[in-house]
Amino acid sequence: MSQQAIVGGLALMALLGSAAAQAEDTLTVYTYDAFVSEWGAGPKVKEAFEAQCDCRLRFVALDGAVGILQRLRLEGEDSAADVVLGLDMNLMASARETGLLVPHGIDLAPVSLPVEWRDDTFVPFDWAPFAFVYDTQALADPPTSFEQLIAAPDDLKVIIEDPRTSTPGLGLLLWIKHAYGERADEIWEGLQPHILTVTRGWSEAYFSLFMNGEAPMVLSYATSPVYHMAVENTDRYRAVAFDEGHYLQVEVAAMTRHSEHPGLAREFLEFVLGEQFQRQLPLTNVMYPAVDIGDALPAAFDELIDPEVYSFPPQTVARERRAWIDEWLRASTR
Amino acid sequence: MRSSAHKLDVPLWLGALAWLAVVGMGLASLAALLSRVTLGDVAALWRDPYLMGVVRFTLTQAMLSTLMSVALALPVAIALARRPRFPGRRLLVRTMELSLVIPTLIALFGLVAVHGRQGWAAPLWQALTGGSAGYLYGLSGIVLAHVFYNLPLSARLLLQALERQPEANWRLAAQLGLTRRAIWRALEWPVIRRVLPRLAALVFTLCFTSFAIVMTLGGGPRATTLEVALYQALKFEGDLAQAALLALVQLTICLSLWALALRHGGATQLIAASARRMPLGRWWRRDALGITRYLDALWLAGLALLLLPPLVAVVVAGLGGLPDLVSSGSSLWPATALSLSMATGAGVGALLVALTLLAGSAQLHRRERSGAAALMEGGGQLILVIPALVLGTGLFLLLRPSLGGGWQGYALVVLVNACMALPFAMQVLRGALFDAPVAQRRLADQLGIHGIARWRWLVWPRLRRPLGLALAYAMTLSLGDFSVIALFGSPSRPTLPMLLYQQLGGYRWQGAAATALVLLVVVVAVFALLERLSRRLPRYRQSRYWPTGARRHA
Repeated sequence: MSQQAIVGGLALMALLGSAAAQAEDTLTVYTYDAFVSEWGAGPKVKEAFEAQCDCRLRFVALDGAVGILQRLRLEGEDSAADVVLGLDMNLMASARETGLLVPHGIDLAPVSLPVEWRDDTFVPFDWAPFAFVYDTQALADPPTSFEQLIAAPDDLKVIIEDPRTSTPGLGLLLWIKHAYGERADEIWEGLQPHILTVTRGWSEAYFSLFMNGEAPMVLSYATSPVYHMAVENTDRYRAVAFDEGHYLQVEVAAMTRHSEHPGLAREFLEFVLGEQFQRQLPLTNVMYPAVDIGDALPAAFDELIDPEVYSFPPQTVARERRAWIDEWLRASTR
Repeated sequence: MRSSAHKLDVPLWLGALAWLAVVGMGLASLAALLSRVTLGDVAALWRDPYLMGVVRFTLTQAMLSTLMSVALALPVAIALARRPRFPGRRLLVRTMELSLVIPTLIALFGLVAVHGRQGWAAPLWQALTGGSAGYLYGLSGIVLAHVFYNLPLSARLLLQALERQPEANWRLAAQLGLTRRAIWRALEWPVIRRVLPRLAALVFTLCFTSFAIVMTLGGGPRATTLEVALYQALKFEGDLAQAALLALVQLTICLSLWALALRHGGATQLIAASARRMPLGRWWRRDALGITRYLDALWLAGLALLLLPPLVAVVVAGLGGLPDLVSSGSSLWPATALSLSMATGAGVGALLVALTLLAGSAQLHRRERSGAAALMEGGGQLILVIPALVLGTGLFLLLRPSLGGGWQGYALVVLVNACMALPFAMQVLRGALFDAPVAQRRLADQLGIHGIARWRWLVWPRLRRPLGLALAYAMTLSLGDFSVIALFGSPSRPTLPMLLYQQLGGYRWQGAAATALVLLVVVVAVFALLERLSRRLPRYRQSRYWPTGARRHA
């Protein structure tokens, strides 16, 4: 240990300290970085789970859902992960294909999603529909469908994320494909004059551009206004319900095949569906919890739009994604 | 035969070892990805019209950005050289030096606040053109952002080249009353011509591999660069083979460009390291009088207007978030400490390797093996054209079986960051090491000054300032790094840029703005502190024996 400390230098001492203290079993959970931040759900989840499991919970924060999958792929069977937390529905098929995940074997009865959920590998833990969020001060009368948006004057701009590099971006692609099928490329072509820019990820779109007032509408989640209402006490930002219905995003967790603590991993997945975990999500992840938590759901959620939601089966997404992205590329570079 | 004079030089084998390590690491990580390539992939790559479009666009935007940056930097540098004294000059020049290391996310934030559709400049644009200010999105936005980064850098380096002209030349030009054209022909163009190819190659490489700027301001998939396609292949498709091929294409293009630039450009130092300033004489150049005053003022005001408002915007936004920070910023200071210690590690690492490589190269030069010397030096520059993501992923694959996570992850990040900073550290140091005057070396040989004393009296005094600056560059580059650390992840202890992203991901605008401000302040502080430390007067009086020092401290 001391040799490592010399090599690692000061920055690593703190880490080693925590590593040295591990007497009990350690459950390693790969998740995305927003989850483990001090205002995310991570710290409270760690505390609550460690109190019940007589073990240590170690989060490894990676760069988004894609980062988790990529890391798992790179590490393969040597992966230290016991549980992955924060993949999304559209990555499920690719994640399953790696052969690194095993069925969870837990009871999904408490799950209450707007769609039926019977997956033996993935445990859903929160969800939200993708939606356009608009600034009521800049746009009094937002379009309520893709076709209305296309018909709007050209100076009505929206900010979207890139389906090649971001989860909401892919969500929009699937949304339009689900709503319009063969006509999807027409819709994309029609949307072009209204797209201010296509950003790499949600942060750039929402923070760097939308919050700076660069465009009155941004692709985000139907639940985004909750944060503004509950924390910033403003109802200036609202989501708009589209007539076509909305595409659903579900975040999932799963356990790995090579886990050294399958028992603990399973216990954690059950904990994920428990109230202690679920209660943290509405205001930290700003998503709907995957189980009914009754009054614990903040009142701001009552103010949200309640659209019809749908999704493609994960296998379809995995199979068609590349072709659909190519179609989008062609339609938007034409 | 080894002459005794070289006794304390870094032994050649150490240089060779460092070269092997750096080049080996770069190539091995590329090979780790390439090993998954099949012939079919290569064929598919060539036939893919999308990728050909990507290459075309990457080239177009990089060429346009380079052209704009360098062409505009020329009059700015000339104006700065012509005006050695005006209020705020020092600040302006300092800010220009910093432009290279401003983290992209911060720059983007500032650029949007100033040039966006709702930005500070929008009313002006509207008054001038009648339309709404949409110029930040699309090719024009990409070029604007690249000019924001690279014009100050280019102008600073050109200014340095101009100021390296002996003072006597300028005095003579003033006495003879040379006209603008004559000064350009006799004094300016000859030095600029020598720097230009390398400068253009550097700017081109930086624009060619630019990523976040292109993705945020590009406006759509039309604006896809190789680096974006590579990121997509590596992260989203998990297609290592495709990523490796793209990296190879990028490598080939950039390397051929550098080969061209090195053939046509003199070997001159590319990063501002000299403390020498334009002499503050009372004489006036003829071309500095009359209307040129206003022209120069215009160019300098233009530079200030390009460079400063975005930074001011970051500060203004950050100040709004400061109260938040004081109340709940518990992870900000640990993040700052972690960032700083990792940056120190990366900085010192880059410095050591850079010194070793340069010393090795210098020795080869002395033995008149200039081919080998250039190769030795080029090894350090290789990393400039290998995408950090490829380097990181490749290393990860290579080291994977023995990589336990935790501190090893951090160590790997430090290693990759050190490699990324290496080209810049070498640029700063090469001048200092290579310019060691022969006369002084001979004198030292004759007097039999060897060992520690030789270092202490001959090498160290010329090296301390470039060392400080190289360390500052290396540290701040690694301070702002997000791509590599994001790749390896961390057990819940974020660095500053990671914290920034976490805050953005968690709707913490105010906090994020404050973190951005802290990051900017830390970058500035590192520069200021290292400059101060490296500039402190030595204990001994050097002015009598060291003419350079005499001028500086007189």
